[in-house]
Amino acid sequence: MPAEIPTEAFEFLLSRAGLDLTDEQKAELKGVYAGITAMAERVRKPRGYMAEPAHVYDFTEEDLA
Amino acid sequence: MSGAIPTIAEAARLIAAKQLSPVELTRTCLDRVHKLDGELHAFVHLTEERALAEARAAEAAITAHGPKGPLHGIPIGLKDIVDTKGIPTTCQSKFLQDNIPVTDAACAEKLAAAGTVLIGKTTTHEFADGGPSFDLPKPPARNPWNTEHFTAGSSSGTGAGVAAGLILGGIGTDTGGSIRGPAALCGIAGIKPTYGLVSRAGVAPAAFSLDHIGPMAWTAEDCALMLQALAGHDPRDPASASRPIPNYTAQLGSGIKGLKIGVIHHFHETDHKVSDGTQRGITAAIATFRDLGAEIREVQVSPLQDWLACGSLISITERAAAYEEWVRTRLGDFSDRLRSRLMLGAFVTGVDYLQAVRRRRELRAELQTAMKGLDAVLTATQPAEAAKIDAVPKWDLFGPPNFTMPFNVAGYPAISVCSGFGEGGLPVAIQLAGQPFREPTLLRIAHAFEKATPFRDRRPALLAA
Repeated sequence: MPAEIPTEAFEFLLSRAGLDLTDEQKAELKGVYAGITAMAERVRKPRGYMAEPAHVYDFTEEDLA
Repeated sequence: MSGAIPTIAEAARLIAAKQLSPVELTRTCLDRVHKLDGELHAFVHLTEERALAEARAAEAAITAHGPKGPLHGIPIGLKDIVDTKGIPTTCQSKFLQDNIPVTDAACAEKLAAAGTVLIGKTTTHEFADGGPSFDLPKPPARNPWNTEHFTAGSSSGTGAGVAAGLILGGIGTDTGGSIRGPAALCGIAGIKPTYGLVSRAGVAPAAFSLDHIGPMAWTAEDCALMLQALAGHDPRDPASASRPIPNYTAQLGSGIKGLKIGVIHHFHETDHKVSDGTQRGITAAIATFRDLGAEIREVQVSPLQDWLACGSLISITERAAAYEEWVRTRLGDFSDRLRSRLMLGAFVTGVDYLQAVRRRRELRAELQTAMKGLDAVLTATQPAEAAKIDAVPKWDLFGPPNFTMPFNVAGYPAISVCSGFGEGGLPVAIQLAGQPFREPTLLRIAHAFEKATPFRDRRPALLAA
């Protein structure tokens, strides 16, 4: 995942999120993009396709009655 | 003035013995509020008339029938993201300046039922994130140990209020450290219970799967007394755990001989090296636990950076989803700091989020294995004493990782207790995390530490002025 984001891709993500930002806000946000990509890389591990997420679905006794 | 501040446990004993009047105690707290809160900004909304009415009612009931429990007549504060029936709940946000809930949050309801006296709504970062912010309707809270310094957040008002004796206890919420951080920097105790133990119903979300509600007070014993009233299943919270509730004070005072405490040295020595003062507090705490008969072991898990990445991606996404409607339509009405955090949601894809949630399962399993046979693990709560309030970086999310997020990611209970004072004279703290739903053991260890050390005898100097 690239640490820098092309302007076109950046604008697409903002538009997709419904964000209407000033130039100053865009510059600030672009400046921390690398931080997010580093986090996104860090959570990726060679875990295979069977690895489940941590969501827990619990059924109470009332549900099962 | 400082000598006049009892703990909840002390006040409860005096009230039960009719040696302390809830009205007198409430008036003393309100006097301190009037004297100090112009500087501390611990409250965004005072409920003075209601507090005095509740105190008078408590006094009458106690005179007639005795106290219904140790919280009867005890002055508290509620973080301003906790819904309170008929009382403004603004979440420190421009969006909710006129918001007056029609029902109490579960935690507010339970504390009221236990007979507490509500002094007011305490200061928070906007919707419990970002901060300190100076572009909100009310200013951020200041640290009572030095008002030029930060309290940490987001439960900043509760932390400042307890430390300064404006309240004896209060509610905090914790998504990545928002109970434990202010507890550490304000020199008090604060416990983030196991995920699901305390209902989130009626509390504004920061990140649904990481949010915890818990007590903050001067001592671990006081946290135990509050947790007793707060814990329990609530069908209004889909994550609420249905489990038997133990007696949280029963083990206090029974010592910790033979208990096993792991130290995650690499968290505070390598992953994010703490200040000398904080390290001294940790080293001395380990020696204290050893002297008290605990067995000390070394524990290793994934680096803090992994836990922070996982928790942050989840937190950014869940927060962006919760507040998306306002982000899309009224972005300019958020504070600068929260607005910036919310904008990050645009960068986290659905796949990123799910990879973080898959990583969460792995990290939680890792901690479970590492803590097998242990009663608790120990590390820092904060890297150092409180920074100056105008020197807190906006993008701390991408700086050195915090010490508290691992236990939000895992959902394990964790408590911060004061472990001394640093070079600047402000408090430093240790963090202890326990096994899920074994808060009685965690509180027992924290209580033993507080009883073996002198740090509960000192209050902020501004109280003596």
